[in-house]
Amino acid sequence: MKFLLLPLILFIGCFRLTAQNQYNNFSTMSQKIDALGKEYPSSCTVKSIVKTAGGKDIWVISIGNDDKDNKPGIAVFGGVEGNHILGKELALGFAGSLLKESKSPEIKGLLDKITFYVFPDVSPDATEQFFSDLKYERMVNARSTDNDRDFVTDEDPYEDLNKDGLITLIRVKDPSGQYTESKEDKRVMVKADLSDGQAGGYLVYSEGVDNDKDGSFNEDGEGGVDFNRNFTYNYEAYGLNAGLYPVSEAETKAVADFLFDKFNIYAVFTFGPQDNLGQPWKFSDRSYSDRRITSIMKTDEPVNKMVSDKYHEITGAKGAPVAKTSPGNFMEWAYYHYGRYSFGTPAWWFPLEKGKNEEVAFLKFAEKNKMNDVFVPWTEIKHPDFPDKKTEVGGIKPFAMINPPADTLGDLITKNYKFITAIALMHPELEFLDLKTENAGENVFRITLKVHNRGLFATCAEIGEDNDWTRIMRISLVPGNGQSFLSGKKVQMINRLEGDQSAEFSWLISGKGSLKLTAGALNTGTINSTIELK
Amino acid sequence: MKNIFSFIILTSFLLLPASVLNAQNEELFFGAAGSPANPKVVATWNKYYTYAGVIDLCKKLAKAYPDLVTMESAGKSYQGRDIIVLTITDKKVQSPDTKPGFWIDGNIHSIELQGTEMALYTAWYLCEMYTQNAFIKQLLKDKTFYISPTINPDAREYFTSVGVPPRSGLVPRDNDRDGLIDEDGYDDLNNDKNISQMRRKNPNGEYKSDPKDPRRMIRVEPGEKGEYELLGYEGIDNDGDGLINEDGPGGYDGNRDWGFNWEPNYVQNGADKYPFSFPENQAIRDFTLKHRNITGAQSFHNSGGLILRGPSIKGGGAEAYSRSDDEVINTIGKKGEEMIPGYKLVTIWKDMYTVYGGELDWWHGEMGCFVWSNELWNSYLMFYDTTNTDPYEFDKLLLFEDAFIPWQKVTHPVYGEIEVGGFSKNFGRLHPGFLLESDAHRNAAFCIYNAYQSPKLEISDIKVKKLPGGLKEVSATIENKRMIPTHSASNMKFKIDPPDYVYLDGGNVIAGMIVLNKDMNINQEQKKNPQRISILNIAGYQRVDLKWIVKDGNKFTIRAESVKGGRTSAQLE
Repeated sequence: MKFLLLPLILFIGCFRLTAQNQYNNFSTMSQKIDALGKEYPSSCTVKSIVKTAGGKDIWVISIGNDDKDNKPGIAVFGGVEGNHILGKELALGFAGSLLKESKSPEIKGLLDKITFYVFPDVSPDATEQFFSDLKYERMVNARSTDNDRDFVTDEDPYEDLNKDGLITLIRVKDPSGQYTESKEDKRVMVKADLSDGQAGGYLVYSEGVDNDKDGSFNEDGEGGVDFNRNFTYNYEAYGLNAGLYPVSEAETKAVADFLFDKFNIYAVFTFGPQDNLGQPWKFSDRSYSDRRITSIMKTDEPVNKMVSDKYHEITGAKGAPVAKTSPGNFMEWAYYHYGRYSFGTPAWWFPLEKGKNEEVAFLKFAEKNKMNDVFVPWTEIKHPDFPDKKTEVGGIKPFAMINPPADTLGDLITKNYKFITAIALMHPELEFLDLKTENAGENVFRITLKVHNRGLFATCAEIGEDNDWTRIMRISLVPGNGQSFLSGKKVQMINRLEGDQSAEFSWLISGKGSLKLTAGALNTGTINSTIELK
Repeated sequence: MKNIFSFIILTSFLLLPASVLNAQNEELFFGAAGSPANPKVVATWNKYYTYAGVIDLCKKLAKAYPDLVTMESAGKSYQGRDIIVLTITDKKVQSPDTKPGFWIDGNIHSIELQGTEMALYTAWYLCEMYTQNAFIKQLLKDKTFYISPTINPDAREYFTSVGVPPRSGLVPRDNDRDGLIDEDGYDDLNNDKNISQMRRKNPNGEYKSDPKDPRRMIRVEPGEKGEYELLGYEGIDNDGDGLINEDGPGGYDGNRDWGFNWEPNYVQNGADKYPFSFPENQAIRDFTLKHRNITGAQSFHNSGGLILRGPSIKGGGAEAYSRSDDEVINTIGKKGEEMIPGYKLVTIWKDMYTVYGGELDWWHGEMGCFVWSNELWNSYLMFYDTTNTDPYEFDKLLLFEDAFIPWQKVTHPVYGEIEVGGFSKNFGRLHPGFLLESDAHRNAAFCIYNAYQSPKLEISDIKVKKLPGGLKEVSATIENKRMIPTHSASNMKFKIDPPDYVYLDGGNVIAGMIVLNKDMNINQEQKKNPQRISILNIAGYQRVDLKWIVKDGNKFTIRAESVKGGRTSAQLE
């Protein structure tokens, strides 16, 4: 046993000493998660909730003090979309930073009140492609599917024609091609603009051959279903990588089940392509002909705005990333169907001008920021599908536009960690105010009180108010022996309370003695008091 | 024939429990038209089967008709009961899963009991009529029926034994969102295994006894003194929260749980966390995904006397409809109105209400099938009269007050002295015994008609013509002899099933094509794999001409394979 412990201790040591300057593959991520569980046993538990089709664990790190599942909770997600490797590092880094500070008075106080559930990577089958010998932006898990619905599965993958370990683009000189070199940056291929007097001259495809000779290139490679297309909100039936039906995959179902079981979770943070931190969502008066809700609720809007302002203030992020929505995505699901506050950001982006080419803007940004390794220059190759035509491989390297260089990770982790902990301090929290007992004579007592939400967040997002999967707060007054209600009920519901809002209650009780008072729900925490009638 | 029959009886007699075989003494019966006078499996259709009764009858059919019936479990219910599927077809003619299939289920809503009897009757009728009726015999050679009598066995058991469950199954659910699960359901205050109404004497109440039939509560006129107030279904405030019966067993809707056009509970009441939250529906999903040959489906509900067709939401959501599909659905539905008097063909979203995530959407959108849902029983059936639909009168004259629980005094912990009574749980939405068989037969006949209209492919007009250079031209026609196409609009839009494939075996195929215009020689050539021509759809009663250019070969076989249209082949020497 001692023998086994030694390498472990060495490993932990080395994790603490190394600054974050590289992305972690599944194996090193799993080791780090395991090490966190072992180093902080009192405030951290590590669990695998399911294995994917590719046999990889979906890890959840639960961080909090004492009875974790019985106080307000926040879930933090990374790896929701397979090419966003940064999200994985930010979620893992958040857990690491939080635990490292877990003995400091400020964070200890926070962990006494709030539990964090951190999922560093929910698309491990896909994200691992970043670390493999053949790198391409993979979105899908390892379930074998028929992406192009030709009744053959996985029959037309990418091929690395120039043997550089990267899947980029091919361009073929062909008069029938509609692509041409961009005027702004010759490296970038764009659709020729007839109105500008341009004609094409190139065919452009992703790097590979047409294995099944159906005229499409690389349309049905290995896998699978995209985690970020498989949720119920705005799900696209038969959409690309959407799965056969919503929540069809082991990992989506396990994540949904975990979250639905945790009634204490009131907010979800997602590092991924969907954003409402760079640019908060806008309320729009919806038409009531359809019962579906598709824009943020009126009273949730100011909370989103406040959180977005904090995001800019704490992280120093400027502007907003390009708004990306997609059918069946996780972050919008967490708001619209899970009924919780949901915040998302890609956490890193480059400035973009409206109507301008994204790739051109990126190359300009890369040059300015001395990111030298982002482009594969066009190089001629032989292509079996175009034996007589000049064919070249080249283009922006996979992952480069979405994931920053590894040496920026440490800084991004720290900023995003500070942001989430600052927001967590605004959690809903109940207190009794103005608790009064009046003796009305003849052993009759009147009890009045207010239940006050002292947090800045509402006790439940407005979107969750009518959702069966959020709890309704209750207030109960349990009389002692010989006491009875002359007016009022033993148990009653408390309507949702906005930040800093109160609700008033009163009862008429006959008989002296003490009564037990309880108020709250899992998502707000429960407060107790004893009332003496004398 | 007679020898074979007596052999079957003899062997069955040796193998089977005696109860299966009350069916001998032929001299005691004279057959009525269209029914098995002397069935091998004796079953009566003027009562409801418990879950054990359903299993018993299914087992007897499987034992009595091993060449027709396969009984299997598609999976387990929440409480561990088997979800039975009977596959019924002539097993000696082709593999069951390559013939066009028709699906029937019942009882997804637990209080809608008689869907099970309709499904069971269909299974029983097909088996018992196979030897004596040429139409049924041919039908079982051509088609396969998949029949799941109850896809909600837990709540069926609950209904037929202890009480009245909700529409749902019995997966526990916190309906009042207080953190306690199923803590305040109905309570059978008078211990009669029925949950009926509560009333309390109250001179200020809004109800009084009907002078024509004192069992009935009627509203008083404005200004008139009342006698009673109505207090809802039998029950007490079990959890002391000031509400009665607000969180009973289950409490969701299994028919809002399917993976197509699904929406959450605040949009669609009864929906759970995500599609297929419940084990019963998961079992049916997995079974159906393995049986792509199913072309049509019927999911029985009650009540109202309706033949429901999709779409279930305006516009159909992701479902696709075409004009020709619509014509097929309406033609078959109208035929149903003719076959089942009193029933009306209606479109769910337009004529009833919007349903998200219903079972029908799954069948239509995800399986590419033609589907119906019959809402069984309506008040017209009481007196065959749409103007006289009085259940009290019917109960008195035809059921001799068997359906009514007389008002009885009980003491309620909150309400004090009250009375409990009203119609029993087997009346109102359920057929009375004597009308059950007749409606079962009509609904079974509608299912049979549906199955009959599923595609039947035939190859004809095979011709070989010599071409210059030692080549031959082989031509043939493939025809769908029935009303339903091999591919619905959804099926084509989403490529749910592969196209229909027609193979030419024999010779070396140089080219293959679909003939669009024979006279003008306009063809649609298939460059890739011409030996196997792909046809996207063969509509009802449509013919498709095909042509191949072939080198060598003298003997040619043309084979058609269609997932939903079945298989057929023809030869030419």
